[in-house]
Amino acid sequence: MASGAAVALPAERAVGWLASTDHKRTAAKVAAASLLFFGLSGILALAMRSELAQPGLQFVSDHTYDELFTMHGSGMIYLFLVPAALGLGLYFVPLQVGAAEVWSPRLALFGFWVYLCGGLAMYSGFLTNTGAGSDTWTATVPLSSSTATPGVGMDLWVIGVALATLGSLLIALTVLLTIVRLRAPGMTMLRLPVFSWAMLATTFMVLASFPVLIVAMGLLLAERHLGGVFTGSTGSIAYQHLFWFYGHPVVYVMFFPFVGAVGEVVATFSRKRFFGYRALVASLLVFTALSMAVWGHHMFVTGAVQNQYFSLTSHLLAVPAGIEYFDLIATMVGGAILLRTPMLFALGFICQFLIGGLTGIIVASPPLDYHVNGSFFIVAHFHYTLFAGSFFGLLAGVHYWFPKVSGAMLREGLGKLSFWLLAIGANVTFFPMFFLGFDGMPRRVPDYAPRLGDLNLLSSIGAGVIALGVLVFLANVWISLRRRVPAGDDPWGAQTLEWATSSPPPRHNFDSLPPIGSHAPLLDRREAEEAAPA
Amino acid sequence: MRSDSAPLLAWGCLQLLLGAGLAAFSEGAPALLFLASAAPVLILAAWTRARPPSEEPRLLPGLSVPVVVLAVGAATAAVGLTAGLWLSLVGGEIALFGAVWLGRELREEHR
Repeated sequence: MASGAAVALPAERAVGWLASTDHKRTAAKVAAASLLFFGLSGILALAMRSELAQPGLQFVSDHTYDELFTMHGSGMIYLFLVPAALGLGLYFVPLQVGAAEVWSPRLALFGFWVYLCGGLAMYSGFLTNTGAGSDTWTATVPLSSSTATPGVGMDLWVIGVALATLGSLLIALTVLLTIVRLRAPGMTMLRLPVFSWAMLATTFMVLASFPVLIVAMGLLLAERHLGGVFTGSTGSIAYQHLFWFYGHPVVYVMFFPFVGAVGEVVATFSRKRFFGYRALVASLLVFTALSMAVWGHHMFVTGAVQNQYFSLTSHLLAVPAGIEYFDLIATMVGGAILLRTPMLFALGFICQFLIGGLTGIIVASPPLDYHVNGSFFIVAHFHYTLFAGSFFGLLAGVHYWFPKVSGAMLREGLGKLSFWLLAIGANVTFFPMFFLGFDGMPRRVPDYAPRLGDLNLLSSIGAGVIALGVLVFLANVWISLRRRVPAGDDPWGAQTLEWATSSPPPRHNFDSLPPIGSHAPLLDRREAEEAAPA
Repeated sequence: MRSDSAPLLAWGCLQLLLGAGLAAFSEGAPALLFLASAAPVLILAAWTRARPPSEEPRLLPGLSVPVVVLAVGAATAAVGLTAGLWLSLVGGEIALFGAVWLGRELREEHR
């Protein structure tokens, strides 16, 4: 007779994992799903760069190319970067604020499953006879009407976007209310860690803008099936207002969490307290409010928006952005900087996002935007913000927090190799696109003038280097989990509460909490110990 | 003022201010859209102020299968909007089953 100890069967373990309401497991599920969609969308990008490697190639048909750039952009934004950013918050915000759980764990779990189903619905369009959504990630009306883009694939895209956005919205709501309502005693708003403040600002934007996209997708579906919703010239403009009211804040939803993560990394690896904490908090709030007020700069060329207002608010963004950059750099000045892999990715984020930010000033200016709108210059600009910026910020966070999540250290050598491959790949891929755009290469076309061939080939080679860098990163994760080097509770000498518990944290997060007197309680404790007489 | 609602209120007011700026520059739907988007955060601020967090220990559910059933059912019903009424009905039934199951789970949890 076997012993009486209860052993969970694999099926029970799977259900326990998939239906677990532990915020850490829900966040892990979000991370796994977003990684899956990143992989799929990345493969589509490689197919696009293969088509564009030389003029005159017919690697894919014109319609398939439309599907590729639509699903690549949609996948990366709706299904990868936004959920990954919110998933990072779902895991670490409760730990940083000293909470045992998130506010409404069931809502977060519901949000994850709705998001996953939305992503699968979007990608299932490839299985239909008309193909997947093929009207860009913005689905501009009237191109996305049932006349211009008929078929179930585009409908699935619309429904999938609505579901994925609803899922992200619900996850963000749980993070927001965790900060507002579940902070540990002593954790006042002005003692929140930098990352938690960034997440708070992010969730503000999500709460205000994501419902608008869900409504827009509902109206678009009604337009496709019933008609009469977005009719005439004003219909197209009305749709663009609704879409970009979501479409610009979402850029910062994919940016702020990584500013917060990079802030934590920079302070920890500079061995200093974060410089200008209150200025950063104020700048985050101003940045957040302004980010809701700039959507019209995506519509300068329509002639249907107040260019003066939207140009002014877009240029004003440089002020809070400048404060954040100043704080990050001033934190490093005079610090004992350790160039470990998380810090390398953080520096990559700071330098490369700057290129995306500075070229953003060009597109915030109507006369200059008229010249570059719809060209590869725009593609270069937003890839510098979202890939060379946000993706590097995400990897800074992943390399920094991996020991906390898994209890094992990532390999430094492989981490640095993946950083350099990704940095070289990103710049070789995206920098030539600025010149291509200025030379008149339009975006979203599968073919181009022969004189643009060399720069396009260079860009395609860069995309291959990026793919290699991603593979090295995945190999690093695999090897580090298989041959574990134990991390301990706080391998970096970090400053915030999540490092005060075990790695990985227990179900209830903390057995006990240290006193909280600032946004860096562990640094306070170390300084007190050093100051105490021996 | 409770500090819990202060950041929500501050940001909602900033948004109203910018919306008023846009209304001064232009007229019509965009300004209204902007002003209305401050509503969710202001409602949340009011709710947070009206209902302070409970000091009592919270019950933490270990896992919740009905939530998964409800989510998958609702998503299936949504996909039925294009795939056909039959799928909406199947999804709706699954979602209803999940909702009832969730209701029972919550009732047992609070007993």
